[in-house]
Amino acid sequence: MKKIIKLTINGESVEAAVEPNRTLLQFLREDLGLTGTKHGCGLGDCGACTVIMEGRAVNSCLILAIQAHGKEIITIEGLAEGGRLHPIQQAFVDKGAIQCGFCTPGMILSAKALLDRNPKPTEMEIRTAISGNLCRCTGYQKIVEAIESASETIGSEEVS
Amino acid sequence: MLLPKFDYHEPRTLEEVLLLLSELGGNAKLLAGGTDLLVRMKLNVDRPSHVISLEKVPGLNEIIPQDRHGVTIGSTTTAANLAESELIIDRFAPLAIASSRLGAPMIRNRATIGGNLVNARPAADLSPACMVLSANLKIKSLNKDREVLVNDFFVGPGQTILDPNELLVSLKIETPPPWTGGSYLKLGARKALEISMVNVACLLTLQSADGPIVDVRIALGAVAPTPVRAFAAEEFLIGQKPSESLFKEAGSIGVGMCSPITDHRGTMEYRCMMIESLTHRALQQAYHRALEWKL
Repeated sequence: MKKIIKLTINGESVEAAVEPNRTLLQFLREDLGLTGTKHGCGLGDCGACTVIMEGRAVNSCLILAIQAHGKEIITIEGLAEGGRLHPIQQAFVDKGAIQCGFCTPGMILSAKALLDRNPKPTEMEIRTAISGNLCRCTGYQKIVEAIESASETIGSEEVS
Repeated sequence: MLLPKFDYHEPRTLEEVLLLLSELGGNAKLLAGGTDLLVRMKLNVDRPSHVISLEKVPGLNEIIPQDRHGVTIGSTTTAANLAESELIIDRFAPLAIASSRLGAPMIRNRATIGGNLVNARPAADLSPACMVLSANLKIKSLNKDREVLVNDFFVGPGQTILDPNELLVSLKIETPPPWTGGSYLKLGARKALEISMVNVACLLTLQSADGPIVDVRIALGAVAPTPVRAFAAEEFLIGQKPSESLFKEAGSIGVGMCSPITDHRGTMEYRCMMIESLTHRALQQAYHRALEWKL
């Protein structure tokens, strides 16, 4: 039996009827057409489906859409503002941290969840934050550099 | 990966949960963090016709200090919250460290201590930590409450003493005495999203900064059908003056408690060697933390 859920996605309030066995990932991609969030392994191993729920990075493939009722969710579509890329997205472009791009939304959201809590992370903290996100092009070094660079950009923007 | 169909329940009180469990029993599964259950349902290992979410039950996810004597940890407290809690880091180190090593950040943000214990995987991260801290598990059903020491909780891989109508509500842990240090070590082929090949938790108490060992607890995971305490190694250590060679010998005694298997993660022989050296290292770390003990 479908149940009504109400949640906030990228700042917009959304109301929908969902089956209990629908995952948050399916709901985002198939019901709302937010296909920036990727479906990788479906088992919580790869991190391609990472979204931010209540300020924390989570695997949307392991959360029921029903469980997201009343929650605030940020997907990759919610980062750019007024056609301008978020500093983390821009850093990924500038540092060549994107190869095939499939892991990128998850990587960026894991990075955002980290920087929101810890604006000046060490390299080890960055590596830990993205340890649940697999990049099969294995471009990890550039991804770490991009996140370091984004943390500097965000820091200097806040000062100025 | 698609989830099979099920009826979803979202009780608002503990009583409602217990009522549902008594009615549905074996046909229902409790959903906490979902990082194990939903995977098992997707893989068709579990096929419950009812899923009972614990999310809306108040107070189940809280870390409550009990004066200076101890702490009560609700069963749906996440690994991330345990790893970040100053109280747990300061006084219950093995649990804080084990929580910080479970899965990866996204898993830790959802996975719960109750789920990790109830699933009873031999390689679970939090079980050895709870065992060295001698956690008392508060278990409730509609018409019975009981408390069980975590050491008596596990029966075999995936099996515990819980009846289908029972809920693990919370863990009660006493604050270890002064001059206690703890550690947790996990060995796997990689650092994240790993299931341990061997894991070890230690808790070591000294009489004073330069005194002998008055109490020590060692628990090993992934080396037997359930996590086990290395009692022989513990007995050997108590009353002794800490030293490098003593810890090394305790490591070799620890191996005797285990019956590891050979599987794709490692061979029996390799696991035995690793039990020895991990126990040795975990004792050293616990000892150094005991020396740094502060009021």
